[in-house]
Formats: sequence, structure tokens, C-alpha cells
Amino acid sequence: MNQPPPDDPPRGGLDRRRLLGIGGSLLAAGAGTPLLGACSVTGATKAGRLGDPDRAAITVWSWQGPAAAMKALVPAFQTQHPGIDVTVQDIGNPAIWDKITTAMAAGGQGLADVLHIGVDYLPAYTEKFPDGLADLGPLGANRYRDAFADGMWQSVTRKGKVNALPWEANSAGFYYRADLFEAAGVDGEALATWDDAIDAGKKIKKATGVHLLGIDKPASQPDAANFFQMLLQLQGTFYFDAAGRITLGSPEAVTAMTLIKEMNDAGLVSDLAGGWTALENSIKSGTAAVLPWPTWFGSIIEGLVPKESGKWKVRLPPAVKPGGTTAATVNSTHLAVAGSSMHQAAAWAFVEYILTRPESQEAIYRSKGIAPALLKAYEAPVFHEPSKFFSGQHKGEIFLNALKARSPAVNYSADYARALKTVADAQTQVLLKGADPARALHNAADQLARQTGRELAS
Amino acid sequence: MTTTTTDGVLTAAGVSRPATAPRPTARILRRRAVPYLFILPALVLFAVFKLYPIGSSFLMSLYENVNGTQEFVGAGNYTRALDDPLLWTALKNTAIILVVQVPVMLALAVGIAVALNSTVLRGRAFFRLGFFMPTVTGLVAYGIIFAVLLNTQYGLVNWLLGLVGIGEVPWLTDPLWAKISLGLALTWHYTGYNAVIFLARLQSLPTELYDAAAVDGASAWQSFRHVTLPGLRPALLLTTVLSTIGTLQLFDEPYVLTGGGPDNATLTIGVYLYQNAFKYFDFGYASAVAYILTVLIGILGIVQFRLLGEKS
Repeated sequence: MNQPPPDDPPRGGLDRRRLLGIGGSLLAAGAGTPLLGACSVTGATKAGRLGDPDRAAITVWSWQGPAAAMKALVPAFQTQHPGIDVTVQDIGNPAIWDKITTAMAAGGQGLADVLHIGVDYLPAYTEKFPDGLADLGPLGANRYRDAFADGMWQSVTRKGKVNALPWEANSAGFYYRADLFEAAGVDGEALATWDDAIDAGKKIKKATGVHLLGIDKPASQPDAANFFQMLLQLQGTFYFDAAGRITLGSPEAVTAMTLIKEMNDAGLVSDLAGGWTALENSIKSGTAAVLPWPTWFGSIIEGLVPKESGKWKVRLPPAVKPGGTTAATVNSTHLAVAGSSMHQAAAWAFVEYILTRPESQEAIYRSKGIAPALLKAYEAPVFHEPSKFFSGQHKGEIFLNALKARSPAVNYSADYARALKTVADAQTQVLLKGADPARALHNAADQLARQTGRELAS
Repeated sequence: MTTTTTDGVLTAAGVSRPATAPRPTARILRRRAVPYLFILPALVLFAVFKLYPIGSSFLMSLYENVNGTQEFVGAGNYTRALDDPLLWTALKNTAIILVVQVPVMLALAVGIAVALNSTVLRGRAFFRLGFFMPTVTGLVAYGIIFAVLLNTQYGLVNWLLGLVGIGEVPWLTDPLWAKISLGLALTWHYTGYNAVIFLARLQSLPTELYDAAAVDGASAWQSFRHVTLPGLRPALLLTTVLSTIGTLQLFDEPYVLTGGGPDNATLTIGVYLYQNAFKYFDFGYASAVAYILTVLIGILGIVQFRLLGEKS
């Protein structure tokens, strides 16, 4: 019979050596954690693996409408890929950005396999976390280079790496209450410039009491500057030029902000303080005659005020200057595969199924009105049918023409979020305090330059 | 006389020591080690979840993310903070709340505590519960409720004001009113919490002091000024320090209520820190701001202890 060693306590208890061992392990874990921390400091992401392309359980992060659209396509996907189990999670927007950012800062820990990312966040993610997203090129993405709308490929590639595949490409739109325009004796289709729109707005306000449009004046949400941004893009400029220099003080920017001030001073701008809820309330109560929102917004209007079917029309926005462009791709979203994913091949299979098959895109457009970046999708009849809600217009074709039109590439840069905040503040100063547009924008440009270290464009 | 035992060895004194028994020094060491072993899990957890992030955050504050790689910038993020107008705006806003809202809230809390401590008041338990209830409301939930109540166009408050002929108040859309709204929300939420601390202190004050004051012919005000207030001194110190720390770290309310706007009128250091880290991915600068905040809290805490603390 083996005797216990002299110093051992009775069996069943924890001996000192074992306790010290456990303590040592815990301390080692504690000491090892800084290494993980160092990963987050360097922004590096653990390299993932391709995994089995036919057998995996993958998770997708998206938000409201797109998440619902993807969920609806999962059963069809699984008939082709029975071994791949897909869970689509509606994280919500803007909550999804915080969730992705935190996970990427933690070296990719906890990220879903497939990530839905807007063009406003993609450059920052790819620049700050170079390994955060998988390179889709080796997985087969490069063969779709010419399948998407003009400019889309530039927005998803960086230094030869394909960070995502384009999903939706939204063109600037001009949704308007045709009945109110008619009551004021204004032809909505005849508005050539935004100056014409201001004149029309005055007539509409006088005849119906309704504002021309609404803006979130105190910028309670970051997208308060959407309209200003659209006016910039209609002039072929943005917050940064192609070289990444700040162009907030450009004549085009001043023109755009001056237009907004003119509208506001004329009493044509209702306040949408409160963000999305205020916008919805505004549409339901009909406080604005025009909604200068992109392609996807049409289905939102239809959903909010279905009884107003036939009272609405849609067109591309007026130009800022006579003869100027009326087409601008104002935003896009994309599907990416996380760099930390252990199932990159299966995740790519899902992305490819959703984004490169016209049938998938057609189904998404039918259910949520999301306009595809995939040009071949537009061959489907649904994009060429008259819309009952929009007074029998061919809404799909209107936006398709905008998508085909050459619109200047937009450099969002890694500092877009900071620029957007600075612009929104400048707009608030103009709208609430009557600040001079040029001065407010030059101050904003200087502040942005100091914060980011970027140069000001001459 | 010697004695042998079955499991021991014979000692010179004839007293046996079991073969398995530890030597005295080992026994002492083991006894001394036991308490350390008991606190070890807590120590490890503290080290992992507190010490490590604190150290890691400081390390992070010395770096800047340039094209995905961390570059050592030394005190660069700290010197950058000195020249950052938005940080100064955040500091100014926080200072205004600290100087205006905190004293008002604490004065209200003292008044409420005195009233709740009064034997004249009937249904004291009901009122105590009523004043404390806002404290348990979730920060985000009450922020959203205030945002809905104070909405300029659709809010209940403006609707009620309209009934008595007062026009729309731009609660959340005007820079000054937004600050006032934030102060109102904070006061509603935290006054009851401070009142409970004052009430606990009041209940520990000896009644003899009040009896003596009454015998000396002190009025109610004199009794309050010369007995109640000095008696509340430790509680005042505690609530002032806690409120100062809470205000300097203020995040939830301005984030939910106004998002820091309009035009940064309600931007606090906490919101600015969050924006830099999670909106602009500028974790190094955000960490530097966090350390600046920590130093500020430390300095203000020391000053308050010096001013309000008991003099030995």
C-alpha cells in the first residue's frame, strides 16, 4: 500500500503545492493577458483560417432591414450548402459599429464571420485594423471586379486587398409630395437647380404651410449632415480630396452651406431634432414637401404612409449650379469576412451567394427596397415596373440611370467620422446661431486639420 | 523513560512527533500562507480586470495608430490634449455642471432629508421611497424618457406648457436649454440618493443637541445652522466627493439625451473620450484623456478633503 508523502494532507483536500500551482497558473494567466492587450494596442488581429468550405456554422452581423432580407435568403442558401449553418443577427444600427470596433480593437475576438459594413466605416476599419478583415481576393472575389456599379470596386479595395464585396449602391434622390407641389402650382420635374427648389419651397410654404424639407438642426444624430453631404457630392467634392486633404473650406462646400442657410432663413426648413423618430413623425404628419434621401428611402416612405399612395413622386435631385450633375452615389454598404473568422471559406460562400447572384438581389429589392450594386441584377423586370405609390413612375429605372451615370469617386478616409461630427457642428452653428457659412466651414476645416494632422487643400 | 509509538519516532524528551507532521517552521509558513491563498483569487481578479487595464491604458496613451501600426509618441497625446479646443469645451461644460448642478442638488437633498427626518411628516416611508425611486431607474432608460418628455415638438413638457400659454421651449435643441435640461435630469436622478445619505447621518445625530439648542432658545433656523449642518459635515464631504467624481465621469445622460450637442454644448469629458475611442478609433488619445480625467478627479478629491474634512 502506497503511503502518502510525509507533508501531504489527507486526500480530498487541496495540498499546498497544488494550490500554489493553481495560483501560479492564474498569475501566469494574468501575466499573459498583457500580451493580449499588446495585440489590441497594435491593432493586430489574430489570423483566421479558411476552414471547411462545405461544413461550418457561421454568424452574420447586420441591422434591421438588411438582416431581415438576409434571413429570408438563408433557407435557399442552405439548399445549395446544406453543411453550412447560418445565423443572421440584427445588431441594430448604429450599435453594430461600436460592436465591430470593440471586437476589432480586441484583436478580432468575438467578431461574427460575416460583417455588414457601410462605406463610411470601411476605410477606418481597414486603415486602423489592417488584419481586421479577410482578403477576399484569394477566395475568388476578383472575378467580380466589373460586376458592380462604377466606383464600387475602389471603395472595397485597398493596397490590392479586397476587403469586402459591394452590396447596395445608393444614389441621391428627391422624393416629393406631388399633390403639395400641384397645390402650389409648382412643377416638381421642372426644378433645374436648388435655387429653383428654394423658390418652389416659398410657394409651397405660402400655399400649404408645409416646409420644403427637414434637417436635424441641433445634429442630434450624426447623419444630420446628409443633405449637406449630398450637395457637396452633386458638385463633385467631399470632405477630403483624393489625396486625403481637407476640402471643407472649398467654394463648393461654402455654396452648399449657404444654400442650406438660405432655406433656413426663408423659413423653409423644419427641425428634425431627435433623429430617426423625428424623421418618421415628420413624414407621418406631412411637415415637409421634399425628402432628399437616397434610393433605399423610397420603401421607408411607402411603409410609413401607405395611404398616401399616388401622392408621391421621385426624381434625381436638382443640380447645385445650372447644368451641373444630378447623379451622385451618396452611400453604399458591403459584406466583409472577419480576419479572425475560422470559417472564411464558408463565410465567403454566403457573401458570394447574397451579393453576386441577381436572384438574391432581386429578392432583397422586392422585400426591402435595397438597391443592389450588382449591375446584372437590374435586368430583372422588378426594376423596370411602374410604381403605384410613386404615381406610376419607373422608380427603379430612375435610380439605375443615376447609378450608370459617371459620378466622382468619394474619399471617405479613415477620419470620416471625425469630419462628419465637425461638419454637423458647423451646420448647427449656421442653423441655430446664424453663423456665417464660410467662417463656420473654415473653422471646421482648421479644427479637423489639427485633430487629424491632415493638410488643408489649397 | 522512553516511549515508542506506532507511527512516530522517539524523541529525547520521550515525546513523539508524528512522521507526517510538518516541522514547526513549515507549520508557521503554512499558517501564514493560508490568508494569502484565500485572498489570491480576488487579488488575481483585481490584477486582471483592474490593474492590467489601468496599466495597459497608460501604455496605450503613449501610442498613436498610424496606418494600422502603433507608433510610440511619448507624451504626444498629452501635449495634443492641451491644444484641443473640444477637450477644453468638454472640461468647461463639465465644470459648469459641477459648479451649478451639484450644489443645487446637494442643497435640495439636505432639505429633503431634513423634511423626511421630521416627525411632523406623515407617511414618511412613502416619501422616502418616492424620492429614492429615481435612483434605481436605469441610466439609459431615464435618459430616453427625458429625451421624449423634453422633445420640442412632440414632448409632454412643452404640451403642458402650451396649455398654460407658454410657447415651445427648445429644451434639447438650444445650447443653453440643453445644459439646463441635462442639469434637470441629473438632479431628478441623483437627489434622492444623496438625500438618503443625509438622512442616515441625521438619524445618527444625538437628540440631546437639539434639546440643548431648544433650551438655549434657538430658532428652527439656528438649530439647523448650528446643529444639523455641522452634524452633516461628514455626509456632505462624502456626497460632494462622490458627486464630483460622478460629474467628471458623466457619460450616459448627455450621450442619450443630447449626444453631446447641440454644437457641443453638453459635451462632457466622458462623451469626448468615448467619441475618440469608439467613433474615431483614436484609442491612444482617448486613453490620454482618461488619464487627464483621473488626475483631475484626484486633485479635486484632495482639495475637497482639505476644505471639508475634519480638522484633527
